[in-house]
Amino acid sequence: MAHIPDGFLSAPVLVGTAAASAGAVVAATRGRARFAERRAPLLGALTAFVFAVQMLNFPLGAGASAHLLGGVLVAVMVGPWDGILVIFSVVLVQALLFQDGGIAALGANTLNLAVLGAGGGWLVYRWAFILAGRSRQLLAVGIAAFFVAVLTGGAVAAELALSGAVPLTPALVAVGGSHVLVGLSEALITVGILRMVRRARPELLADAPLPSAVTRRWVVGTTAAAVLLAAGSYLASTRPDALEAAVARLGLDRVGVATSLPWADWWPGGPWGRALVGIAAAFGLAWLVFRVAARRDGAL
Amino acid sequence: MSFRHLDHWAEVPSLVTRLAPPARLLAMVAVALGAALLPMGAWPQMAALLVLVLAFAATARIPAPAFAARLAGPLFLVLLASCAVLVLAPGEPLWALGPIRVTDTGLVRFGSVVGRATPALGAAVVLVSTLRFPELLEALRKLRLPSAVTTALGLSYRLLYTLADEIERLRRAARSRNAGHGAAGRRRTAMGIAAASLVRSYARSERVHRAMLARGYSGALPQLHAQPMDVRSVVVLLAVSAIVLLVVSSAWL
Repeated sequence: MAHIPDGFLSAPVLVGTAAASAGAVVAATRGRARFAERRAPLLGALTAFVFAVQMLNFPLGAGASAHLLGGVLVAVMVGPWDGILVIFSVVLVQALLFQDGGIAALGANTLNLAVLGAGGGWLVYRWAFILAGRSRQLLAVGIAAFFVAVLTGGAVAAELALSGAVPLTPALVAVGGSHVLVGLSEALITVGILRMVRRARPELLADAPLPSAVTRRWVVGTTAAAVLLAAGSYLASTRPDALEAAVARLGLDRVGVATSLPWADWWPGGPWGRALVGIAAAFGLAWLVFRVAARRDGAL
Repeated sequence: MSFRHLDHWAEVPSLVTRLAPPARLLAMVAVALGAALLPMGAWPQMAALLVLVLAFAATARIPAPAFAARLAGPLFLVLLASCAVLVLAPGEPLWALGPIRVTDTGLVRFGSVVGRATPALGAAVVLVSTLRFPELLEALRKLRLPSAVTTALGLSYRLLYTLADEIERLRRAARSRNAGHGAAGRRRTAMGIAAASLVRSYARSERVHRAMLARGYSGALPQLHAQPMDVRSVVVLLAVSAIVLLVVSSAWL
């Protein structure tokens, strides 16, 4: 259920996802006057390709088959911005002509499939490419295709839960869980296709810029720290830490909080609203850091 | 092949086909948005929007069986997806089969999802049945969709069925060679077909670009049959928007 039909999402989710998607599509076209002149035929051909190849079933065994989502494949070939435009065009035609995905839910579907699928897919691909190196480019593609499919499933589940259609946990288990299988098939198909393309036309995949040594050290360092944190959290003691112990010993935990931050109650939407603001702030910060790092490497 | 198999009623003279394409597209978006904004359990309002869509289908002279047949496919997918809502929503159990429980809340949410999706799908069916693809592109251009997207869509319209035919030819050739034994073999064959189509898409885009430059392409595709936004289109669009607004407001007030 990567394409959400009309009827499932609530008004705030429809508006929020539409605004985010519109921003991403405008960002993908802004300041790129060269696009229409040189890239339009290629993007038109890729839009037609994604559309046509989505009609093709790839047998997985045991009577099951899958079709390609294509976000990571397109982003690896033409970059994140053009990838967003190609997948947005596909999603738009599917919604308008074939009723595959709702018109009102177009913003949510664009966010899930184009912005996360192609834009997010390219980010994961670059991260994995920097870690794996050029000789393992297809491994990076596979990792990106898998993670992005799971991320898309998670996003669909979160949107359904935010709309009050289903509770978050069952939605994550049902939609997110099924997208783990989708991710495996997406990785298998994307890597298989790109391996054959690389054999026939290696120059189509060869222009991925290599990162500088500094960027590579940063990526390796932050990834190692994240893995250590994730693994270490399982080994952490359940007893209170030094600060909590000191607070308990002094009896401060029994003292009521007299004041709170002035903006604590200002955000609408309760904990969900605060969570969304936090996610948006973290995303904005990460995007800024990425832009600066990528500009230094000449990737953008 | 072309998208012409979708727009059977685009040539039929009717009030709907006489409207400017942007007005038709916006009216459809208004109905879809209005349906999406209805609260759970707003049954009379959902029925009102469906009646509005059916009136449009009748005005466009789309035969009822054809309309129902076109609506059935996407509606079936919605029904399939809504089953999860039916069994996952918490509430007072009405019916249980082992661990699967249908609750009162689940039933209301299931009905609401189907009730909101049906007018939106119906509006899309009316639009697709009465609007040619070049008119749709013209409407998207007039509605200020980025030219990058409309240009890519215009070119993909030209290439899609060429590519689909090519994929079918490659599949036929693979079958005639008995290519692909077992699931793994068939998967490898399908990947080969997809990879060959991708490489050919690149090559074709380069040829098309050269041909376009030779014909004086300067970054914008020429527009044919541009239908102006006349008074009648504006009036109908305003009337549809007002009805949708009234229906949605009555559900919330």
